[in-house]
Amino acid sequence: MSRIFSLAKDEWRLWKRSRLAVVAILGFAIVLAAACAGTLLAMSKATHERESQQAVAEQTFLDQPARHPHRMVHYGHYAFRAPPPLAIVDPGVDAVTGQSIFLEGHRQNTAMFADARASADLGGLGALTPALVYQILLPLLLIGIGHALIVREREARTLGPLLAQGVTGSELYLGKSLALVGIGAVMLVPLLGLSVFAIASGENLAASLGLFSLYALHTLVWCVAIVLISTLCKTRGTALGVLIALWLASSLIVPRIAVASTAALLPSEGKIETDLRMQADLRELGDGHNASDPAFDQLRANLLAEYDVDRVEDLPVNLRGMVAQQGEADLTRLLNQYADEKMSLERRQSETANAFGWLSPMMAVSAASRAVSGTDTTTHHRFLRETEALRYEFVQGLNKAHAEKMAYSDDINRSSNAEAERRTRISPENWDVLQSFHFTPDGADQRLARGSSGFRQLCLWLVLLSVLGIAAAKRLKP
Amino acid sequence: MNSFTREFVFLIKDRTAFLWLAIAAIAAVFAVALGLQEVSNQRQSIADLIEADRIDRQTVQAAQVDWGDAAYYSFHLTYDEPSDFAFAALGQRDVAPWKHRIRMLALEGQIYESDAGHPDFALIGRFDFAFVVSLLAPLLLIILLHDVRSSERAAGRYEWLAATAGSSNRLWFVRSALRTGLLCIALLLPLWIAGLVSGAAAPTLALASAFTIAHLIFWWGVSMLIDRLNWSSSVNLIAAFGVWLLLAVIAPAAMKAGVDAAVSLPDGGEIMLTQREAVNDAWDLPKEATMDPFFERYPEWANTQPIDQPFEWKWYFAFQQVGDQKTENLSSAYREGREARDDLAGLLAWLAPPALVERSFQNLAKTDVAAALEYEDSVRAYHAQLRAWYYPKLFGTEAFDGDQLMDIPEFIVSS
Repeated sequence: MSRIFSLAKDEWRLWKRSRLAVVAILGFAIVLAAACAGTLLAMSKATHERESQQAVAEQTFLDQPARHPHRMVHYGHYAFRAPPPLAIVDPGVDAVTGQSIFLEGHRQNTAMFADARASADLGGLGALTPALVYQILLPLLLIGIGHALIVREREARTLGPLLAQGVTGSELYLGKSLALVGIGAVMLVPLLGLSVFAIASGENLAASLGLFSLYALHTLVWCVAIVLISTLCKTRGTALGVLIALWLASSLIVPRIAVASTAALLPSEGKIETDLRMQADLRELGDGHNASDPAFDQLRANLLAEYDVDRVEDLPVNLRGMVAQQGEADLTRLLNQYADEKMSLERRQSETANAFGWLSPMMAVSAASRAVSGTDTTTHHRFLRETEALRYEFVQGLNKAHAEKMAYSDDINRSSNAEAERRTRISPENWDVLQSFHFTPDGADQRLARGSSGFRQLCLWLVLLSVLGIAAAKRLKP
Repeated sequence: MNSFTREFVFLIKDRTAFLWLAIAAIAAVFAVALGLQEVSNQRQSIADLIEADRIDRQTVQAAQVDWGDAAYYSFHLTYDEPSDFAFAALGQRDVAPWKHRIRMLALEGQIYESDAGHPDFALIGRFDFAFVVSLLAPLLLIILLHDVRSSERAAGRYEWLAATAGSSNRLWFVRSALRTGLLCIALLLPLWIAGLVSGAAAPTLALASAFTIAHLIFWWGVSMLIDRLNWSSSVNLIAAFGVWLLLAVIAPAAMKAGVDAAVSLPDGGEIMLTQREAVNDAWDLPKEATMDPFFERYPEWANTQPIDQPFEWKWYFAFQQVGDQKTENLSSAYREGREARDDLAGLLAWLAPPALVERSFQNLAKTDVAAALEYEDSVRAYHAQLRAWYYPKLFGTEAFDGDQLMDIPEFIVSS
C-alpha cells in the first residue's frame, strides 16, 4: 500500500517540476474558476430577475380594472422559470428554450425569448460553464499530463529496473493511477464547493451529491482509460494519439452525430405544420366566442332542459360564459393532445440520442448532468405542463365568472349598447382566480432516476476499462 | 526525385497520417451530406407549407362575411428560403425562426414566435461543414503536424537530415506544407461536390475554399512556431491543443459573454408585455385615445366615418396598429442591440480565427444574424403590405366582396 502511495508521490513530484504540467494545471484552474464564478453570478442574477418579474406579473394581473372577464382571458399572464440551485453547475437547456411563457385563452404558447437568439454568435462550444469545463476540458488536461504515465517508463527503459526491484505490475499500475486520480480529485474540489452551495440554496442533498459523484465517475473513467492506454501503447506518441482520438470522438464527433442521426430517425414536425393540422380538428370543435356555433347546440339544449326554461335569456347563467367554458375545455383537450404528442416525441428523441452515451462518456455525463441538475428537456416539459395547468385554471375561472356574473342580454348587446357594455364589466376581485406560480423541478428521486442511464453507461465504461486495466497491469512487462 | 514527390511517398507510407486525413475526409463528407439533407428538408417543408397555407386560408376566407372578420381570421405564410450554400453552415437558422404565419393583428405579438426544435439538439450543436472547418480541422492539422520535426529528432535522424537536405528548413516546410495541402483537399473536395449538387455560386465556393485554406495556414503557422521550440512531440501536441482550446473554445465563450454584457438589450418579454398592455388597455380607453395616434400615422383616414359603436373592426385594427406603434422604441432597440452585438462579435472574431471562420461561413451561407434580421424586416414589410391592403377596405365604404380576398398580396422572397 505504502509503495503505491510513494509511486504516486513520485509522480506528483515529477509534475511539480515539469513546467508543462504546472502551466497546464494552472491554466485549467483559472478557466475553471472563471467558469464557476461566471455561472454562479449569472444564475443568481437570473433567479433574482425572474422571481421579481413573476411577482410583478401577478400583481399587474390582479391590479387590472373592472372589465369584461373575457378580456382578461385575452389579457393573459406571464409565468417565469427561475433556474434551479444546481444550474450553477449546469444551466442546461435554459438558454435555448427561454424561461418565460405567455399564458392566454385559447392558445398554448411556446416559451419565448431564448437568450440563444439574441446573443452574439462566435461559434465555439457554447458558454463556459462548470459543466462544459468538467465534461470536455478536464479529460483533455488529464490526457495531457497523464498519457505518458507508464509508457514513459517503458520508453526510458526504467520499467524493467522498477519491476525488478520488487514492485509488482499491479502496484505500479495502481500507483500511477492514484497519481492521476489525485489530480482529478483536486480539480473536482470547486465542483464540491458548488454542490454545497446548491444545498445551501435549497437543493436536495442526494441530488447535489449525485451530481458530484456523476462528475467524479466521469473523471475516474477518463483516468482509468488514460492509464490503460499508457500501458498498452509502445510509444508516448501513440498513446497520446489514441487518447486524443478517443477524446475527439467522445466530445466533438459522437454527440453531434447522435443529434443528426436522431433527427433523421425521429424527425419532428415544425410548429406551423402542427398548427395547420390542428386547425382542421379545431374547426370541428366550434369557436368558444360564438354561442350560436352548432357545436354548442347540445350544451344549449341541456341547459334549457336542466333549468326548465324555453329561452336562453331566461337561464340563470349566461349562455355565452357556459359556451366559453365548454369551448375552452374542448380546445384544451385537443391542445394537450398535440402538446403530449410533441413532448413524447421529444422524449423518445432524447432517449435515442442519449443511447449514444454507450459510445461517448461525454454524452453520458452531459445528459445525466442536465437531468440531475433539473435543467434538461424533461424539466422544460414539466414547466410547460405546470404553466398549462395554471393557464387553464385562471381562464376557466374567468369563464365561470363570465357565466355567473352577468346577464346574457347585456352580454350580447354590449357591442351596440354602451349601458349594457358597462354592466358586463365585473369587478377586479374576480381576478384572484389567478394562482401564484413558483416553478420547482422534479424531486431528487425522479431526477436521479432520469440520470441513471448516464450513471449506468459510465459504470459500464469504468468496469470495462478497469477489467482491461487489471489484465494489462498483471501482464506488465518491460 | 524531387523533395515533393519524396515526401509524398513518405506520407503514403505513414499509416497514422493517412488515417487522420481519412478521418478529415469522412467528417467533411458527413457534414456536407447532413447539410444537404437538412436544406432539402427545409425546402420541402416550405413548399408543403405554401400549399397547406393557401388551402387553409381559402377555407377560412370562404366563411367570412365582412372585411374585419376576413382580416382577423386569415393567416399568411412568410418564409426564408435557405440559400444554395446554406448546407455548409446552418448557423442562425437553428435558433432564429425562418418561417412565420402572420395575420393583421399587432405584429410585435407575432414576430418573436419561434419554431423551436429539440432543446438538447440546439445545445449540442450541428455537425455542419462550418463546424468541421472551424473546430475539427485545426485539431486534425495539429495532430498531423506536431511531430514533423520532433519525430525525426526522436529517431535520431534530425541532425543528419538537416545536414543532408541542404536547407533544412525547406525539408520541414515541404513536409508540413504537403500535409496541410492534403488536409485542405480532403476537406474541400466534398465541399465542392456538394456545392455543385446544390448549385452554389462559384465565387461563393471559391471564398469558402479561401477561408478554409487561410484557416489551415494559420494553424500550420501555429504548429510550426511550436515545433521550432525544440520540444518533444507530445509536448508540441499538448501545447498546440492548449492554443486550440484558448482560441476555439475559451476565447469565443468569453467574448460572447463579454459582448452580451457590454451591449444590453431590452428584455424580449418587455416588448410583448408593452404591446399586450397597449392593446388590452385600448378596450377601456375612449376611442380617441386609439384613433388620434392612429390618424397621426395615417392622416388619409382621419376624415372617414367616426366610430360610434362600442365595437368596430376598424377601431380594433387601429389599436392593434397603435400597440405596435407604442412598442416601436423597444422593438427597434431590441433589433439595434442584436445588430450591435453582432457587429461587436464580428470585430472580436478577428482575435479568434475559429470564430472568424464560423462567422464567415455563416455570412456566405446567408445564415448569419444579418440574414435573420433581414428576414425579420421582410416580414415587417409584408405585414405593412397587408395593412395597406386592408385599411382602405376597413375605413372605406366598399361592401364586402369575398372574391377580392384573392388579390391580397402574397409574401415574395426578396433577393
